[in-house]
Amino acid sequence: MRVAERIKHDGGTPAKAAAAPSLPPAVVRPRKRRGVNREGLEAGRRSTRTLLWILLAAAMVLYGFPFLYLLFTSFKTPIDTIAVPPTILPKEWTLENYTNALGRIGVLASFINSIQTAIISTVLSLVLAVPAAYGITRYKTLSGRIFIMAALVTRMVPPVAIGIPLASMMGTLGLSDTPIALSIAHTTISLPLSIWLMSSFFEAVPKDLEEAATVDGCSRLGALWRVVIPVVSGGIAVTAIFAFLASWNEFLFALLMTAIRSQTTPVVIANFQTQFGLDWGSMTALAAVYSIPVILLTLLLQRKIVAGMTLGAVKG
Amino acid sequence: MSTRTFISRLAVGGICTAVALSATACGAGGPATTSGSAGTNTVNVLVEAGGHAVLTGVAEQCKQNAGVDVNFVELPYDGMFNRLSSEFSSGNVSFDVAALDSVWLPSFKDAVQPIDEIFTDEAKKDIFPSLVKEANVDGHFIGLPAWTNAEIILYRKDLFEDTKNKADFQVKYGYELAAPTTWKQYQDISEFFTKDGIYGTDVKGGVETEWLAHVLQAGSPMVLDGDKVVIDNAAHKEALDFYVSLVKDAPSGAAQVDWAAAQNLFNQGKTAMTRFWAHAYRQIPADSAVAGKVGAAPMIAGSAGIGGVPGPWYLTVPKATKNTEAAKKFVQCAYDYNDKGIESNLGLASRISAFEKYQDKEGYESFGPLIETLNGEATATRPATEKWQQIVDTVLVPMLQKAVAGGDSATLLADAKKQIEDLLK
Repeated sequence: MRVAERIKHDGGTPAKAAAAPSLPPAVVRPRKRRGVNREGLEAGRRSTRTLLWILLAAAMVLYGFPFLYLLFTSFKTPIDTIAVPPTILPKEWTLENYTNALGRIGVLASFINSIQTAIISTVLSLVLAVPAAYGITRYKTLSGRIFIMAALVTRMVPPVAIGIPLASMMGTLGLSDTPIALSIAHTTISLPLSIWLMSSFFEAVPKDLEEAATVDGCSRLGALWRVVIPVVSGGIAVTAIFAFLASWNEFLFALLMTAIRSQTTPVVIANFQTQFGLDWGSMTALAAVYSIPVILLTLLLQRKIVAGMTLGAVKG
Repeated sequence: MSTRTFISRLAVGGICTAVALSATACGAGGPATTSGSAGTNTVNVLVEAGGHAVLTGVAEQCKQNAGVDVNFVELPYDGMFNRLSSEFSSGNVSFDVAALDSVWLPSFKDAVQPIDEIFTDEAKKDIFPSLVKEANVDGHFIGLPAWTNAEIILYRKDLFEDTKNKADFQVKYGYELAAPTTWKQYQDISEFFTKDGIYGTDVKGGVETEWLAHVLQAGSPMVLDGDKVVIDNAAHKEALDFYVSLVKDAPSGAAQVDWAAAQNLFNQGKTAMTRFWAHAYRQIPADSAVAGKVGAAPMIAGSAGIGGVPGPWYLTVPKATKNTEAAKKFVQCAYDYNDKGIESNLGLASRISAFEKYQDKEGYESFGPLIETLNGEATATRPATEKWQQIVDTVLVPMLQKAVAGGDSATLLADAKKQIEDLLK
């Protein structure tokens, strides 16, 4: 075996190369170059990784800063919150804003309303989106394609344009100022997105799985329930989170459709800005508290979300 | 029980509870009502979040003395107009009384009932004349002013009373340093105090009311004289030139300064004077650099005298309410117990007697200047047109922003006239 071939065969490790007797310098050179390349490659990888970490950290700061600023502001004294120029950290830490915000009449009720509305809206979205998306992806008909495109139309209309007619319709139905009315309104926002998301998840599930289940005696619905849905459970979690968030943070419909009984927290938060002044401290305190359930929910479902987002990534 | 099982059960429990509650059409506040509270002694009052405090004391008195229970529906200012439009146009209202900003009265005049019986001769004497005039639309009183406000002068008493400042000012301008009463004095004092990191005043490019007050002081109706657009007349130009002349003595970025920014600047001790709504006097934070050091004076006067733009809110009774009797009782309460609003943190009312009752008390030093401004010979309410808000948002504020950034006043006013005429077509 020629030396060059032997080096190639041995994997080019320095130890094995050193064992070769009386190697001419010309032949050794490539070995040395390969060693340098590997170190260079390692260094390159390290610098790429460092760069990625820096970019990641920058992105985190970019996304996280507004929330951190909100959090810090919620612990500031009233005069600190309006400081010119603004400060990031409180000069003096206080819980006064939390006492004010949570002690305000109607705040607790608004939290319950927000939770109730978001849950109903999420359930409604999933109950409607899962079968719709399944039907569209499995039957692949022209009407299905038209339907999925048409579902997006509601997302193309400014919410304020449908908010006022929706509020009037709910009034006619005797549903004014109820969580169910607001949930239905919120479902108009989350349903199109849910159908599209679920469609992509169903697309990723091989038909063979269902066919195998059918061979084993499952009906079509049985296969959907016992085989397909467990496979796309990550996708359902992702869709549920999006639907929940869409309702949880929604403001305009809540403003137009709720009053005493079903007012949600985003409206209550907005009420801290009045024509006579802005209570920054209390507003940020309530906003910070309001974000806790969503953070917890996201953390609890984190693994499902990641699984859902990568579902279909290896489809081949 | 594993964590997973616990979470699953919790989720299922939550969903069941939410669905069960929704089945009964209940929110956390209890069973839903459709339109007001028909035929009962309970009224739903729609109010901007800041005004809620003013009416709380009234509601307590009303319950005690007239047997009327009040539920407040609080909404943020920016969303209230949309909500009112939505409910009034549907004819299905969720409130029995609505507190309306004065600029909205022309827009909703056909959706609310006359309340002439509340405007007795005695009442008309006890409410500021400009408000009595504004409340009367097409020959009927349609709203009771629940509280009102106007811009006055707030100034740093400590700086004005400083011996060195007084002496230096006397030398430089030839008259005694005191709260300004004229445009010239306001300019001089602004210039004098612009030093050592402090500015003499602020200039608000983000809001129009202050410039309009100067227009009144210069002797012209604001923007419209009947149906005629007069924004390009001499008084408007004079007022705009005066407004812009203060930019050199104000913090930078005047085009973006609005009420909140100006209030912050003053409370932080960055400006020596501000023209601001009177309620701000009582809202200076206790830990502010200027707490206890602020004086109040009436709005400055131009050639036509003291002029301000009142900022009242009117209580109205929708035609669509099914509970007119109780609603009108509440509006009457708002007149009878009007001074209760003064004891709120906002500290405002609408009856002259209510302001007078408190004006000599400690902490209410802004009331004297407020009364004087509201009674000012040039004081007037905004033009009664449905398009007013649109005129403000699309013409007046952009024009002011260009003016404080250095635009030519005559050209800007001429352009504004054309735009307004197009809007009113």
